Amino acid sequence: MSITTLLFILGIIAVVATIAIVIVRVLQGRSRFRVDIGSPQPQARSAEDSSNNDIGFKGRINAIGIGVLAILATLLARLWSMQLLSSREYVEQAESNRLRTITTRAPRGRILDRNGTELVTNRPSLTVVAEGTVLDDEFEIQLLANVLGMPRAAVRRKLQDTVEGAQSVRTVCVDATRSVVAFIAEHSDVFPGITVEQRTQRSYPFGSLAAHVLGYTGAVTEEQLDASRNSTDNSSIQYESGDTVGQAGVEFQFESVLQGVRGERNVYVDANGAVTSSVTSLPAVSGSDVMLTIDASIQQAAEDGLQHAIEMAHQYGYVNCRKGACVVLDATNGDILAMASVPSFEPGAFIGGISNDDWDYLNSEENDYPLMNRAISGQYMSASTIKPLTAIAAINNGIATPDTPYYCTGYWTGFGGAYGQYCWEQSGHGDMNLHSGIIHSCDSVFYEIGKDFFYSDNREGMQEVYREFGLGTPTGVDLPGESEGRVPDAAWKWRYFSAYSDEDRQWKGGDCTNLAIGQGDLLVTVIQMACVYMGLGNRGTVWRPHVLKSILARDVGTVADYTPQQILKIDEPASNYDLIIAALKGVIYEESESMTEHFLSLSHEVAGKTGTGERTGEDLTGWFLAFSPVDTPKYVVAAIVEEGGFGATSAMYCVRDVLGQIYGEPDLSEVEVSDATR
Amino acid sequence: MAEIPTSSIAGSRVLESMFGGAAGKRPKNNTKTPKNQGIAESIYWPVILPALMLVAFGLLVVWSASLTISDASFIRQLIGVAFGVIAAIAVWRFDYRSLSNLTRILLIVDIVLMVLPLIPGLGYESHGMSGWIRIPFIGLTLQPSELAKLVTIYLMAALVAQYNGRIDNIQEYLKLCLTLAVPFVLILIQPDLGTGLIILFTGAMIIIAGGAKRSWVLSTLAIMIGIIALVIISSMTEGLPHILKDYQLKRLIVFVDPSVDPTGDGYNLQQAKIAVGSGGLFGKGIGNASQAGQGFLPEAHTDFVFALLAEEFGFVGSCVLIGLFGWLMVSCIRLSQLCEQPFAKLVVVGVVSMWCFQVLQNVGMCIGLMPITGIPLPFVSFGSSSMLTQLMAVGMIQSVWRYRQSPA
Repeated sequence: MSITTLLFILGIIAVVATIAIVIVRVLQGRSRFRVDIGSPQPQARSAEDSSNNDIGFKGRINAIGIGVLAILATLLARLWSMQLLSSREYVEQAESNRLRTITTRAPRGRILDRNGTELVTNRPSLTVVAEGTVLDDEFEIQLLANVLGMPRAAVRRKLQDTVEGAQSVRTVCVDATRSVVAFIAEHSDVFPGITVEQRTQRSYPFGSLAAHVLGYTGAVTEEQLDASRNSTDNSSIQYESGDTVGQAGVEFQFESVLQGVRGERNVYVDANGAVTSSVTSLPAVSGSDVMLTIDASIQQAAEDGLQHAIEMAHQYGYVNCRKGACVVLDATNGDILAMASVPSFEPGAFIGGISNDDWDYLNSEENDYPLMNRAISGQYMSASTIKPLTAIAAINNGIATPDTPYYCTGYWTGFGGAYGQYCWEQSGHGDMNLHSGIIHSCDSVFYEIGKDFFYSDNREGMQEVYREFGLGTPTGVDLPGESEGRVPDAAWKWRYFSAYSDEDRQWKGGDCTNLAIGQGDLLVTVIQMACVYMGLGNRGTVWRPHVLKSILARDVGTVADYTPQQILKIDEPASNYDLIIAALKGVIYEESESMTEHFLSLSHEVAGKTGTGERTGEDLTGWFLAFSPVDTPKYVVAAIVEEGGFGATSAMYCVRDVLGQIYGEPDLSEVEVSDATR
Repeated sequence: MAEIPTSSIAGSRVLESMFGGAAGKRPKNNTKTPKNQGIAESIYWPVILPALMLVAFGLLVVWSASLTISDASFIRQLIGVAFGVIAAIAVWRFDYRSLSNLTRILLIVDIVLMVLPLIPGLGYESHGMSGWIRIPFIGLTLQPSELAKLVTIYLMAALVAQYNGRIDNIQEYLKLCLTLAVPFVLILIQPDLGTGLIILFTGAMIIIAGGAKRSWVLSTLAIMIGIIALVIISSMTEGLPHILKDYQLKRLIVFVDPSVDPTGDGYNLQQAKIAVGSGGLFGKGIGNASQAGQGFLPEAHTDFVFALLAEEFGFVGSCVLIGLFGWLMVSCIRLSQLCEQPFAKLVVVGVVSMWCFQVLQNVGMCIGLMPITGIPLPFVSFGSSSMLTQLMAVGMIQSVWRYRQSPA
């Protein structure tokens, strides 16, 4: 029996006994005890009462005495209930009164290029934040605007910005100066709801370099918060409102590595919130660094190369040209040495919360969606770059041999005169075979192959080879947002055009000829095509393209290295590879003198292919794919320039610039490419 | 507690003597006068013992408060006790009976005390509270209304005693009520509602004990409840005069629902309750009171001193405090019963009523039984004026004892 219970029982006994004795004494009349308030009539004097002036005093004073005791008993009863019965509850409240958990944010891991150059790092930043309630105080907004030197409307807009969540504080000013911070601290009475926080901000020493690969960070969203709260996995990160998390690119992909573990300190505070003592303390663990396969210098070359290509496109009259992408792979292991996409953006704009205006700008069609990584998310028709695969399919299906003769008049009428199709060279290529057909990208040769497939037993032989080389399937690159492309076939067409008549949903001969030259419904991504050419150059071996090289823990060094994964082992006869590689080499060195001129200054041989996509209502989109050296490929470079004209007159410049940077042999040729294939 | 019987006769004697029971058994024709009493006999021990214990307990609590609260100066409290003891001895030596015919002078003194803080140059605000005076040249600050409480007790007791235990003339009754209204209204002007209520309660108890008719008392009570209701309703309604100050109204609202004002008075009340409740059975010990020590409990050394005491000493400490007050007041009631003079009886009734009301109000507000008012806990709260007054009140009881037998 606890002491509380004992006391309780004793208390009850005492009270009952008291009441009982008082009642008994009063009933027996033994008591002179009388209770009365006021004196309605003169009191009868008892025999014992000899006092002549004691008229009713005794009863009234007794009543007062009982009143006093009743009051004290009431207080005790209440104290009993509070201090014994509900004490635990109050103790908890007292504890929660003074116990606070202070979290310290872990510095986010850095992102390095393959040589250890910092692409993304952290810097300390004093940030002025405000409660949403400040919005109601016009005077305070004006004052804040004056102190920060910002227009009032801008401050108001920042306050209205709920990107970080409706309940959380709004970031008003990142990187506040010391004097501003001091002023706000000194005049905290006129700045209710405004505080200065010491935060670390992402810092981008190279500005927008590799922006699409690196991605950006932002305040954790409500969905991410919910997901982390509902997560049953104990090892997953528990986010708090206001946390900075990766929202795109490597920042998003390797969030769990970069994030680190928040430090927690349980402290006792006084009524003013000042810490009086520390109870427990768990230091923050900073996030690990991520080392990428990206080479900053090649990345720079790829981005500059794209700009160069776009400028050249403008020179050739393609004034709408604004968009493009470039990927550089290491053919021996799948390392992504560079990945560029245009238009690009400044990841720094996201520091401290991006403004609504900037966000709208980055997500609008008229600005060409700068946040989109066209190298992995953009889906394009492959155009002529698919022709080597079509040739392989033709050989494998007995539709053609390396010696099969073709003749190009410039206008192909394989399906009859009513269904004639032009070769891009409308004057005709004359005598052709598979080798020269690839070099000159002769459409007539591949129309014929497409027609033969349409009438063959294996109508989908081309699609088989495309899929064999990985088209229609994501490469599994370690970046978010990869598209899978599309290899169209009869079943797909039937499904896709379900709203059309049965006749229109049929797979036609024209579908085959379109597919053979990479037009029509075939969709590929730049990274897929880079992998296709890696497979061709490597004679079957395709490594998974990846940006992760290793993970480095602070002060410890490498904790994990990326192990290259072979995703495809394409089993083709050596003769096929011999034919294709020779033809791709021929594209560079035989097809066009003016284009060859640009590659002669390179000490390593290059094999490649141009491509030019046509879509109604748009300017031509140029492709250029290359690998080098030809015999034992080390590098694969893929570039696309949207609405930039022929591949040879746009994307080629980008590829050449990248190879020039890799080999240290810049393109010195001033020759304008004029007679190149499409 | 006086009623708890013990089986042993000896124990019963001890118990009775603790509450002054033995004194009543003195023969009526005792001819001893104060002059031939021994010093021990001229002191009423059943009151002085609990009072001194309360002072000691209070000093302990104030000392513990002084560890963390810079305003709570233990030395100043000790000086207050010293002054109080000297004043109490003076009151004890003074033959209060001479006051029974000086009602007019008592009333004047009462009025003067009430008006003092309103005189420019003398009036002084301490911690946002008016009602203080600063004595020129010495710089000593005092709350004259504290002393006025004692004067009012003498005044009302002297007036009511004239009726010899029966007030059966309505005019006389109303006269008494009006006399009591004088100090009450004056103190409301200061404004000090808390002290005003003490005076009102004390005076009312004297009138009731003095034999006012039950129906009149009940009618007066009903009228007052009506007036209070009117005042509150008027204060809460737009357009009507707001007689209660906003903070007073808020305290009443908070008393009904503490969650209304979680940062102001509601916060104070909540923190006080947490302090009391978290004390548990034995308390957290001196200096370990997190509620009071870390500043969560406001005014922990003055108005909310009971919460501090309850947090440090727990239910046991609360019981000791309430027990000491019980002992003190029951002893006084016994003394009142054995005194023959109505004036003596009524003076004692007045003092008991004052203590009882202050304890009820102060402890009650810490535990959510009463609305928040700034009334100190007798003998315990930090503050010289209060200490001086309460010790003088003990002196008044002692004086009643000392001059109990000799003819008036």
